[in-house]
Amino acid sequence: MKNTELLRSALQSLRANPKRSFLTTIGITIGIAAVITILALGNGVKKRISDEFNTTKNGEQSTYLYFTPSDAQSTTAGFNEADLNLIQERFGAKVKKAAISHETNNVSVSPIVGNQRLDSTKISLIKQPTKKITIMAGHNLTTSDLLNAEPVILMKESLAKKQYHTVQNAIGTSVTIGEINYRVVGVYQSQNNQYGDNKYGADLIGNARLFYSGTTATTGNGIKLTFYQGVNASQTTKKIKKYMVKKGTSAHDGTYMAYDAGAELAKVNNMITGLTAFISAIAGISLFIAGIGVMNMMYISVSERTQEIGIRLAVGASPKNVMAQFLLEAIVLTVGGGLLGFAIGWLLAGVISNFMPYHIHAVVTLNSFLLAFGVSASVGIIFGILPAKQAANKNLIEILR
Amino acid sequence: MTMIRLEHINKYYGQGATRFHVLHDINLKVAAGELLAIIGESGSGKSTLINIIGFLDDDFEGNYFYNDEPIHDYTRADFAKLRNRHVGFVFQNFKLIRDISIAENVILPLLYAGVSRKQAKKTAARVLSRVGLAGYDDKLPTELSGGQQQRVSIARAIIANPDFLIADEPTGALDTKTSQEIMDLFKQLNQTQHTTIIMVTHDPRVAEQCERIVKIIDGKIVDDRKVGVD
Repeated sequence: MKNTELLRSALQSLRANPKRSFLTTIGITIGIAAVITILALGNGVKKRISDEFNTTKNGEQSTYLYFTPSDAQSTTAGFNEADLNLIQERFGAKVKKAAISHETNNVSVSPIVGNQRLDSTKISLIKQPTKKITIMAGHNLTTSDLLNAEPVILMKESLAKKQYHTVQNAIGTSVTIGEINYRVVGVYQSQNNQYGDNKYGADLIGNARLFYSGTTATTGNGIKLTFYQGVNASQTTKKIKKYMVKKGTSAHDGTYMAYDAGAELAKVNNMITGLTAFISAIAGISLFIAGIGVMNMMYISVSERTQEIGIRLAVGASPKNVMAQFLLEAIVLTVGGGLLGFAIGWLLAGVISNFMPYHIHAVVTLNSFLLAFGVSASVGIIFGILPAKQAANKNLIEILR
Repeated sequence: MTMIRLEHINKYYGQGATRFHVLHDINLKVAAGELLAIIGESGSGKSTLINIIGFLDDDFEGNYFYNDEPIHDYTRADFAKLRNRHVGFVFQNFKLIRDISIAENVILPLLYAGVSRKQAKKTAARVLSRVGLAGYDDKLPTELSGGQQQRVSIARAIIANPDFLIADEPTGALDTKTSQEIMDLFKQLNQTQHTTIIMVTHDPRVAEQCERIVKIIDGKIVDDRKVGVD
């Protein structure tokens, strides 16, 4: 008999008892859904970690080291070239590059706008003209403005209205940040920046090249460390931090802090790994019980359809044909449940990831699909083979009597 | 030409002290094209005998030569093949699968022989019209009368062009008029298609319409005669 015919007759018999078939698959569905959910979340965490670590495609990792001055009014920078040289000398084997990291998004400044000093004002810095803002008066920063380091700046609509009542009035006024006097050439529409994570929601937008010129080009309160492939970045960062506390040029004026996103995510990963073991155990039990359910149903089916088996054998089905038919029924049942479980697990992981910290997204891979398919098919084979054998080995004479 | 040759066939049911000797030293030859009736009381062993002849039962003592092939040496899988290629069965209670259509029932032997479904369905329509059930393809067995169901069963038995048919009390569940219709169909198959038919019956009117009658009592052949010859 052709394989397609075997599959067809398997589907036919399952359709004859839709409720029973559906109920039998529920256990498989739940088991697979649980496994896929936890795998998708686990993969999400791993992907987040690798995104965070691997700044380049060849697997280089990077971390940040920040300096916080003890005197909040202090203008001393935490790191200078001497510090970078120290790090290169001592950790050159591991650190590929140590560079002053200039913050470009929502940097806190205290500019003088008009005659007024405005504390806790945010400025974002750009190197190329941006189209992500809507200019309401004046003009946007141009490429030549930026390349020539013209002392020009853009102001946010709400700040302009607060200081000068209309956006038009703000054009041409001056903003002084540090020692540089900027001229306002444009006003842009306010954007939501409630969490301080929108670059274009800052109060001012200025030129990064100009802002970090002079002494600020080679000094700063943060450094970015890029490591060679295969280096334990977290550990080395900690060592560098200790070294800075001992030898750093500004060690006595403040504290150092390492920002290591990988370490934070590693904690989540540990939690997920623990959960994976736990949920896999539950899913395993669920699949086992579901398998016994399948076996039970197949035994019932075999004994209900004794006559059919007899007829098929009498018209020339070989015992192998009969066994294949019943085994296929069990497999169709479990794989059907498994695929449904896969879909549910995917959905569930997507929903749960909305409530996870650190922007973790559910990641469903081809491997997860193959796992769902393989496990459910195996359950079908393992728990379907005995009933199928029983069907194939029925005594034809006794059935037909 | 001798198609079926049974030599010293013995058959037992059960084991040890409770062993029951069903068939005693059966010797029988059936030639191609015969229409043969096996008669006997219930429990005489006639069904057991045709189960052996029809390759349903592979557990017997003695020799069975089918077209001079020693069937008694064959394996279980070989028997499935023999059933599929060489014999068609018609049972007293029809033995149709209830939840699939008439056509699906009829094409089963062809499907197991590896014929495509499309081709098999075409053949089924032709065979169904030969047994007087043209257009019944998509009906379910339960929608048909007993006589019609037996015709379906005959259609299934002949669809793969077997060498011979085994009919176990084919008219046992039918009224007199329907019985005669089924007998007429068997006779027609035997005369026009030269299909060999071996049937078991306890109805003398049915047996008298065959060409040869073999009588079995207590597992022994006691009479073997040509009808209208003695």
